[in-house]
Amino acid sequence: MDTYPIIDCDVHQSSPTKDQLVEYLEEPYRTEIARYGTRKIASGIRGEEGGNRRDLDASALSDPHYFVSALLDRYQHRFALLSGVTASIAGMPDPDYVNAICRALNNFYIDHWLPVDKRFHLGIKIGLQDPATAVHEIERLADVPQVSAVCFFATANRIPFGDRYYWPIYEACQRLDLPIHIHPSTGSTITNAAMTPAGNATTYLESHVCMPQFYMAQVASMILNGIFEKFPNLRVILVEGGISWMPHLLWRMNAEFKALRQQAPFLKRMPSEYVRDNIRLTTQPIEEPEKAEQLLQIFNMIDADHTVMYASDFPHWDFDEPTKLPRILGESTIRRILHDNACEFFRLPSLEAQAPANSVLQLN
Amino acid sequence: MAWLPLFTSEELPEGGMKLHSLGKREVGVFRQQGKLYAVLNYCPHAGAPICLGEIDHPITTDTPGGSTVRDFARPVVRCPWHHWEFDLQTGKALCPIAPRIKTYPVREEKGRIWIDF
Repeated sequence: MDTYPIIDCDVHQSSPTKDQLVEYLEEPYRTEIARYGTRKIASGIRGEEGGNRRDLDASALSDPHYFVSALLDRYQHRFALLSGVTASIAGMPDPDYVNAICRALNNFYIDHWLPVDKRFHLGIKIGLQDPATAVHEIERLADVPQVSAVCFFATANRIPFGDRYYWPIYEACQRLDLPIHIHPSTGSTITNAAMTPAGNATTYLESHVCMPQFYMAQVASMILNGIFEKFPNLRVILVEGGISWMPHLLWRMNAEFKALRQQAPFLKRMPSEYVRDNIRLTTQPIEEPEKAEQLLQIFNMIDADHTVMYASDFPHWDFDEPTKLPRILGESTIRRILHDNACEFFRLPSLEAQAPANSVLQLN
Repeated sequence: MAWLPLFTSEELPEGGMKLHSLGKREVGVFRQQGKLYAVLNYCPHAGAPICLGEIDHPITTDTPGGSTVRDFARPVVRCPWHHWEFDLQTGKALCPIAPRIKTYPVREEKGRIWIDF
């Protein structure tokens, strides 16, 4: 088990420094950022209690080589999806600023991170504030080697993901065969005018606990507004939103659709079937019930053998090692979660296809 | 259990932590406000190197809306990975949960740090 290769669906490479970022910007933002730094949105909650793991060399986190040694080599990664750090653009109201920052970040990571190791793959940043420009950015970068996903922010948008507002972006992602990587944007959640569906959370603890509620709402929005009927080959990964709520949502969507089908008449299949075919969940932070067999039951309810993929969230505070998956899941399921499901989802060559002919398959 | 010498007192200044291997295991000794604490370098949650965590002084509040105090007399170590809090003296978690860090009796004698391991 220890030698099975890992596909990690969520790694947070550091942001460039102000001086590094400025080199990738044109005016007027070049001078603005040199003078004032990037613009800020803060949800007014004490997120510093989270942050990064405290045992890492903080001064080294800006160096991609440190990620190679502390993560890729240490855990025998085959593939690590870089999703970056997003606070300066998620929910920011000025679309031109956001577009400039996204372009600069994407170019910076393509220049400085991807060449360091072939195992690094990039989730590109786009401004959901401006779908037309977002489409141009996706088209600009889709053919860059090691660009493997498009990043959405789950928690800092006022328009739910099932809205037709996003159709141009979904069309581009489907056409260019890039999955969408949906991740929280906790620091800027306040741009939703509420950090939970009930209103503002008072603490990061409360906001972080309630984060899956955004995912429930976004999945219901996408399914019940027919996104996967309109874009049947669109792939979506739900990152850091938890897993245990999914059975409830599947049951409830299916039960109510039977009665209220006329309100989603374009759906040709049961809601849960779209989830199975188009959506994947990631493990981190793995839920921790008192009894491990309860987690096994949840995994069986959602067909984890096909729908769940591993993510570490390195270098963040709620990072999960690959060994965090409970053994009760069984070796076959654990291997599918650590590697095989993501291998299929990202359309990578299988391990068997990678092994030289007439050789023993080296699972390390 | 036996008293084992680890390192010299000079190697552990106030506010510091020093690791020491004992066979396959590793312990960390902390010096906080003149007192010594010895801890097995293993977090019971997910196996993180607990001794690399920060020292904190816990906040407690008697009742919602009540007064909040920070207990400077009670150092805790926060796991560097998931930030769980453990009392350095007792090893107990600050949340009412069973997992605890392993602590050892520790003393300083003749310029050397000893633990009962």
